Amino acid sequence: PGAGDANCVDEILKEMTQSWPPPLTAIHTPCKTEPSKFPFPTKVSLAPVAV
Amino acid sequence: VESRRARKKQSPDEETRGYTALVSTDQRQSYKDDFNAEYDEYRLLHAHVENITRRFTQLDAQSRKLAPGTKEHQKVQEEVLKEYKKIKQHSPNYHKEKLRCEYLHNKLAHIKRLIADFDQRRAQAWC
Repeated sequence: PGAGDANCVDEILKEMTQSWPPPLTAIHTPCKTEPSKFPFPTKVSLAPVAV
Repeated sequence: VESRRARKKQSPDEETRGYTALVSTDQRQSYKDDFNAEYDEYRLLHAHVENITRRFTQLDAQSRKLAPGTKEHQKVQEEVLKEYKKIKQHSPNYHKEKLRCEYLHNKLAHIKRLIADFDQRRAQAWC
């Protein structure tokens, strides 16, 4: 191939190898946390701390 | 048609900027619905561009390993031209598809960020 072809190939490679970011992942379901549903029972969190 | 296209071109992310910080769970659902409505199209376009980019990156790496002027190097160069012609033939809208995918990527990333911010604010409020 002549110099024209080589230039053409260089151009193609430049154009076609531009960095491409990884795909965005889907949106997760909303966190169902509500103020009334703490993971620990109130009793435990209010218990006096043993020293 | 032309003026509409020109306007679209002038502010490509006008639609994206319309998505502002979330204030309610209803709004969260509506943003999520918008995200999901375009997510499948985005993934298909993304995978297509990713495959093609990967193929040319491989050829580029091969080509760099070989000395110019050798038969092997020439073979890789020819392969590049062949692959490129194949895309022109099978995906004449490849460039448009790539632009569309970039647009969707930015838009969906923006919506996703707003939802993540909202979730974080909410999680902090409950703690």
